[in-house]
Amino acid sequence: MKTAQEFRAGQVANINGQPWVIQKAEFNKSGRNAAVVKMKLKNLLTGAGTETVFKADDKLEPIILERKEVTYSYFADPLYVFMDSEFNQYEIEKSDLEGVMAFIEDGMTDVCEAVFYNDRVISVELPTTIVRQIAYTEPAVRGDTSGKVMKTARLNNGAELQVSAFCEIGDFIEIDTRTGEYKARVKA
Amino acid sequence: MTRSWDVFCAVVDNFGDVGVTWRLARQLVEEQGQRVRLWIDDLSAFARLCPEADAGLARQTLHGVEVCRWAQPWTDTDPADVVIEAFACRLPEAYERAMAQRPRPSLWLNLEYLSAEDWVSDCHGLPSPQANGLFKYFFFPGFTAGTGGLLRERGLLERRRAFQGDGEARRTFLRGLGIEPRPEELLISLFSYEQPALEAWLEPLANGTRPVRLLVPEGRLLPDLARWLGAGALRAGDHHERGQLRVHILPFVSQPDFDRLLWCCDLNGVRGEDSFVRAQWAARPLLWHIYPQEDQAHLDKLDAFLARYCVDLDLELAQALRSVWRAWCLGEAPGHAWTLLLGHLPALREHAARWCAQLAAQEDLASQLCGFVANRT
Repeated sequence: MKTAQEFRAGQVANINGQPWVIQKAEFNKSGRNAAVVKMKLKNLLTGAGTETVFKADDKLEPIILERKEVTYSYFADPLYVFMDSEFNQYEIEKSDLEGVMAFIEDGMTDVCEAVFYNDRVISVELPTTIVRQIAYTEPAVRGDTSGKVMKTARLNNGAELQVSAFCEIGDFIEIDTRTGEYKARVKA
Repeated sequence: MTRSWDVFCAVVDNFGDVGVTWRLARQLVEEQGQRVRLWIDDLSAFARLCPEADAGLARQTLHGVEVCRWAQPWTDTDPADVVIEAFACRLPEAYERAMAQRPRPSLWLNLEYLSAEDWVSDCHGLPSPQANGLFKYFFFPGFTAGTGGLLRERGLLERRRAFQGDGEARRTFLRGLGIEPRPEELLISLFSYEQPALEAWLEPLANGTRPVRLLVPEGRLLPDLARWLGAGALRAGDHHERGQLRVHILPFVSQPDFDRLLWCCDLNGVRGEDSFVRAQWAARPLLWHIYPQEDQAHLDKLDAFLARYCVDLDLELAQALRSVWRAWCLGEAPGHAWTLLLGHLPALREHAARWCAQLAAQEDLASQLCGFVANRT
């Protein structure tokens, strides 16, 4: 068993015999050193969504899921298709990729982890660090090499994030997929 | 519709847990026509709040509420239609099982702690699926629409206005506490946790130009106060003078009398949750000692309340209020802001009255609870 505050988005809990994937978990301190966790859940069997709240130390049963390494293949509206090393294809809906959509792009070669429940992909996790190319950003500011001044950059898939002001169109950058934040400019 | 209610209260520290649940239980019976059992694990704490209670009795009926000792080990009891665990206390396991086994399972609520933070309305009323198949609902008190509101008895504000408009009633009440107030005196009540910097707060009062009478109920502040006064242990009935400041130690009083005390005063120092809410209904300036938490989590809650409370307050006064309240809660000296605030009590009183009126526009907590239950049963 795990406490409610130990669960993260993408993980699955057995709640009264039903598998629920945690789409979002928000921790808040209430009174007298107690805390509550608000969760947005989706039932893996029915697809029904709900919002709940737990005491932070409420115990929930985690469901250990099968995981497999996959790479992204293509988008076949409305499904995203991933493939494993044996060329098996797995389809997943956009809503189940909510936490990683900003990092999905055509031609990406990152080795991801597909998470399965009853032989169905329910989520895909990317590596902690990925490299993406800047499609557009305002011209670099001369003289600023500190990296502390930030500006908006757009990636090839249209996602935007803040990058160091010295980054330019075409630069490759490292991104932390846990936070969605820029880490560093890197060589291709 | 009349339903049976079981309200569970575990007394952790101080009197807030039992104070809030006792008010709620009375209101559910007297105003909502419900049948209520109030389960308390520490009846001696309850007896301080309700002098007519007998801490030695396992069951007694007071003001229509059946007050029961929450004993260990638990004695099997048929659960009520509605069950409230106050402040996230843990119900007896056997009772939880019995709730689920009822032909119509009990409606289970967790009455949470009061906070002004934004996330409270996001969580208010949400279900919490439990291992026994029941759903527990989180019910959050609060200051705004979208929360469960605040405890407020029917007619409370009318009684307060009548009392505050009746000088003789005020004098009679204070005489009953052994206090003969003088018209020119500033009357301050102080019910707080420990305050290591108390000297910095009281010296300006003692050295000021206006006579001040400080009324301090028995409680956790007394050792710090005794140290400043250079006195031995303080007891109810004691009084001391220092310059312009007269200090009176008051006995622990009943809830209605505590309300009257707040109504009498020009400034009320309060703490925790129950007295904090009562001071807002008193429509008088207040100084809040928030319950301290680990990692200073209470400061976020203090700031969240001040952000709401200071919305239409003069900017300089708002800054002074924030500074003073934070210093009080951090056990620090207040600086110039304290003197500034004391010089603007009339403006703060007007503000307190507006705030009270704003809060009173919300449906009270007991009514909201009953509405919530009615919608789910």
